[in-house]
Amino acid sequence: MATLLWLQAGACSGNTISLLNAEEPTVIDLLTDFGVELIWHPSLGVELGEAAQKLIYDCANGERPLDILVIEGTVIRGPNGTGRMDMFCGRPMTDWIRELAAQASIVVGVGDCAAFGGLPTVDPNPSDSTGLQFHRDVKGGFLGADWKSKAGLPVVNIPGCPAHPDWISQVVMAVATGRAGDLALDEYQRPSTLFTTFTHSGCTRNVFFEYKQATMEFGQGTRTGCLFYELNCRGPMTHSSCNRILWNRQSSKTRAGMPCLGCTEPQFPFDDLAPGTVFKTQKVSGVIPRDLPTGADALTYLAAAAAARISAPQWAKEDMFVV
Amino acid sequence: MTVTEPKPTIDLSVSPLGRVEGDLDLRVTINDGVVTEAWTEAAMFRGFEIILRGKDPQAGLIMTPRICGICGGSHLTKACYALDTAWGTTLPPNAILVRNIAQACETMQSIPRWFYALFAIDLVNKKYARAQGYDEAVRRFAPFVGTSYEHGVVTAGKPVEVYAIFGGQWPHSSFMIPGGVMCAPTLTDITRSVAILDFWRQEWLESRLLGCAYERWLENRTWEDILEWVDENQAQRDSDLGFFIRYAREIGLDAYGAGPGHYLAMGTFFEPSQYTTPTIERRNHALISRSGVFADGRDHEFDHTLVREDHTHSFFRGSASLHPWEGVTDPIDPEDGRRQGKYTWAKAPRYEIPGLGSVPLEVGPLARQMVAGNPERQAWQDHDPLIRDCHEKIGPSIFLRVLARLHEAAKYYRLTRGWIDQIDLHDRYYLKPTEPESGKGFGATEAARGALADWIVLEGGRIANYQVITPTAWNIGPKDVNENRGPMETGFIGAPVADLHDPIELGHVARSFDSCIVCTVHAYDGRSGRELSRFTVNGMG
Repeated sequence: MATLLWLQAGACSGNTISLLNAEEPTVIDLLTDFGVELIWHPSLGVELGEAAQKLIYDCANGERPLDILVIEGTVIRGPNGTGRMDMFCGRPMTDWIRELAAQASIVVGVGDCAAFGGLPTVDPNPSDSTGLQFHRDVKGGFLGADWKSKAGLPVVNIPGCPAHPDWISQVVMAVATGRAGDLALDEYQRPSTLFTTFTHSGCTRNVFFEYKQATMEFGQGTRTGCLFYELNCRGPMTHSSCNRILWNRQSSKTRAGMPCLGCTEPQFPFDDLAPGTVFKTQKVSGVIPRDLPTGADALTYLAAAAAARISAPQWAKEDMFVV
Repeated sequence: MTVTEPKPTIDLSVSPLGRVEGDLDLRVTINDGVVTEAWTEAAMFRGFEIILRGKDPQAGLIMTPRICGICGGSHLTKACYALDTAWGTTLPPNAILVRNIAQACETMQSIPRWFYALFAIDLVNKKYARAQGYDEAVRRFAPFVGTSYEHGVVTAGKPVEVYAIFGGQWPHSSFMIPGGVMCAPTLTDITRSVAILDFWRQEWLESRLLGCAYERWLENRTWEDILEWVDENQAQRDSDLGFFIRYAREIGLDAYGAGPGHYLAMGTFFEPSQYTTPTIERRNHALISRSGVFADGRDHEFDHTLVREDHTHSFFRGSASLHPWEGVTDPIDPEDGRRQGKYTWAKAPRYEIPGLGSVPLEVGPLARQMVAGNPERQAWQDHDPLIRDCHEKIGPSIFLRVLARLHEAAKYYRLTRGWIDQIDLHDRYYLKPTEPESGKGFGATEAARGALADWIVLEGGRIANYQVITPTAWNIGPKDVNENRGPMETGFIGAPVADLHDPIELGHVARSFDSCIVCTVHAYDGRSGRELSRFTVNGMG
C-alpha cells in the first residue's frame, strides 16, 4: 500500500483528465485494486472540507506518511516572488509544495509544466512560473538542482503536454508495487523505460522518412510523406513512447497527420512560438533542416538523404494509406 | 459550530473554482440560513494572453488548448475559426464535418464524467439520508464504488477515442488548422468511429442514462412529456436520468440555484455548405447549434461587438470595460488589488443589450438549450423547445441546469452520427490558405460548460493582441463597475445552507455551473469575522 497525494499548481488539469482515459488499469482500479491509497486529489478526492484540509496539513506536518506526492502544473512564483498568483487554502501554493515535498518519499512531476515549466514559462513568463527541478532545460527550478526526496531520489519527471495516461499509471504502479528502484532516470529525470525511444519509433510515416519523402501540406495528402521536412515534426528528436503506446487506444498525433511538437522535451515549446516557427520546419540555407534527427551529423545525414531520395521507389511517393 | 445567535450572518468563500482562470474562492454572506450575497474569487493566474502577444499567428492553436485540459478541443476549435476569419480561408466541407465531430466528441466525453465524478457524488450527502431515494442514490452514485460511477467515468473515454482517430490524441491535440484539418481519414477510420460511438450509445447512453432508445428521449418537447416519460415504463423510471429527475426534486434541487435569467450561446457546429468561407458576418447564419441571447424573455441576435470585459474588481490595473479586440491584461499583486476593492483573477464579461444596459449572461447547456427554443431558424439549425418549456413551467434551478446538460448527450450523439455519414472520403480536408500579415479574427464555440471565444489581432505577421473569454469567466466572473453580480454569484443568492460545517448546497450550485475546479468554501461569521467552517468542492478542468 502506497499513499498518494495529488495537487494542481499552475495547471490546466490536462494530466488529470488524461489519466481518466487510462484503461489498464483504469484510474479507479488503480485506486481500488492496486494498493494505491489516494489521500486526496482535486478532482477525485472523496473527503470534503475540514477533513480534506486536515489530510493535507497532516501530510505537510509529517503526521501522516506520504509515499507519493504528485504535482501537476507549474510552480507559480509571481508576483515578485510571493507566490500569490496561485493561492491554495489561503496560502501560496509554493508554501505547500515546499513543505509537502520535504515529507514525501517520492515526488513525481506530472506533465511538462511540473517537470520543466512548459508553456507558462514562455517569455515574458507573466506568472514567474518554473518547473519543480528544472527551468526548461536548466537544472534547478523551484526545489533546486541538488534536492532529493526522503527516498533519495530527485523529482521523477513524467513530461508530455499532457502526459499519456499509461505513463502516469505505470510509474505510479511501479512505485506502489515496490519497483521504485527499477525506475532508471535519464538526464532530465524521466523514466528511461518510457523516454529512451523516440516519437519517431513506431510512427507509420517511417517508410516515408526512410526515403526522404516530404508531406508538402496538411490534410490533402497527409496519408503520404513524412512531416519532418516541411511541417516541423519533431518526432525524430523527441523522446517519448507516443507511437509505441498509442493515445486513447487508437492513434497518435503523427499518425493522424499532426507534427510532433516535442512536448516531452524540456525546451517545449520550441523557439518559444516565435513568428514563422509554428508548423514550419526551420531550415539552414533554405533547404537543410536546422534540427536534424538526434545523433545525426549534418554531412553524413545529407549524403544519406540524397542517396535515399534517389533510391525512393514509386510507392513511397504515393498515398499508401488509401481510402 | 452551533449557531446560537439570532439571525447569524456568515460569509462563504469558494476558493479555486475554475482552473481555466485559476483557482476560485467564493465568499458568501448568509442570513437566517440563506445566502444573501456572494463574491467569486479566482485564485490562480498564468497570463496566456500576455504570452501570446508577439508570437506566431498560429501560436494560439498550441497555446489556448492548454488553458484548460478538459475543454482543450473546444479551445482549439474556436482558435482555429478565429484564424480562419482573420486570414480569410476557404474550408472544404470535410474539414467542417471533422471539426464538428471532434467538438461534439469532447462534449460527449464531458457529460458523464462531469455528472458522475463531480456533480452526483454530492447527491449521497448525509443531509439527504432521510430522503426516500437516498439508498438508491448511494448505490448508484457513491464515489468509486457506485454502480453507475465507474461505468460512467470509464465509458466516457469512448467518444474521445473517436477524437483521437481524427486528431491523434485527446486531450491537447492541435490538429485543426486554418484552411481545414491535418488528418485525412481512411475508410477504416470511419467504420471504427461508428463502432466506437455505437458502443457508447449502447453501453451508456441508452442502457444507463436513458433506459430507452435515444430517439424516444428526443421526442420529449415539454415538461409534461418528461413527467410522462419517467412513468412510461420501469426501464426509464429506473434509468440514471429517470432516477435523477425524481430524486433531485425530492431533495429540492429544483428550488434554488437560478442565475440571472439572461442567457448567452455563441453556438457551435457549422452546416458544411454554409461556411466554406468563414467570416464573422456569416457565422450566426451558418451555425447548427445556434447562437443567441435570451434576455428579459426575448430573443436577441448575438453580436460579438457587444461583448465587453470589465475588470473593476479583477486583479488587473485600473478599471475599464473594453471590447476584447481592445482588451488589456495587466496583472497586479492581489494584495494591492484587494486594497482597491478587487477580489479575483477573472474578468467580468458583460453584454450590451439595447434598453437593458451592460448585462451579465449565464452560459452553458441551459443557456444553449434556451437559445435552441427560438422558433425562428434556418432549415439546418437546431430547434428544440424542450428546455425553454421547462424553464417557463418550473423555472431555472440547479435541476434544470443539470437536465439541460444530460439532454445534450442524446442530441450530440445524433448529430455526430449524421456528420460521420456525410464525410466524403474522396474529397479534400484542407485548402492551403494565404497568410496575410494583418487582420482581425473572431472564433467561438460551445465548450461543454458554455460559450468560449477568441479575439485575435494580427499585425506584421505576428499576434498584436489575443483575448480569450472562457465560459468559466462568463459564469464565475466577479461584479462589474455597476456592482452587478456575475451569474454564479447570483446563483448562490437564496441558497439555503442547512449545515454550516458542510454547506453542500453551495457545492450543488457551483457544480451545476460546472465550475471546473477545486472550490474551497470558507465560512466566516459575518460579525466577528471568525471562520466557522471550511469546505472543499472538488472539481476538474
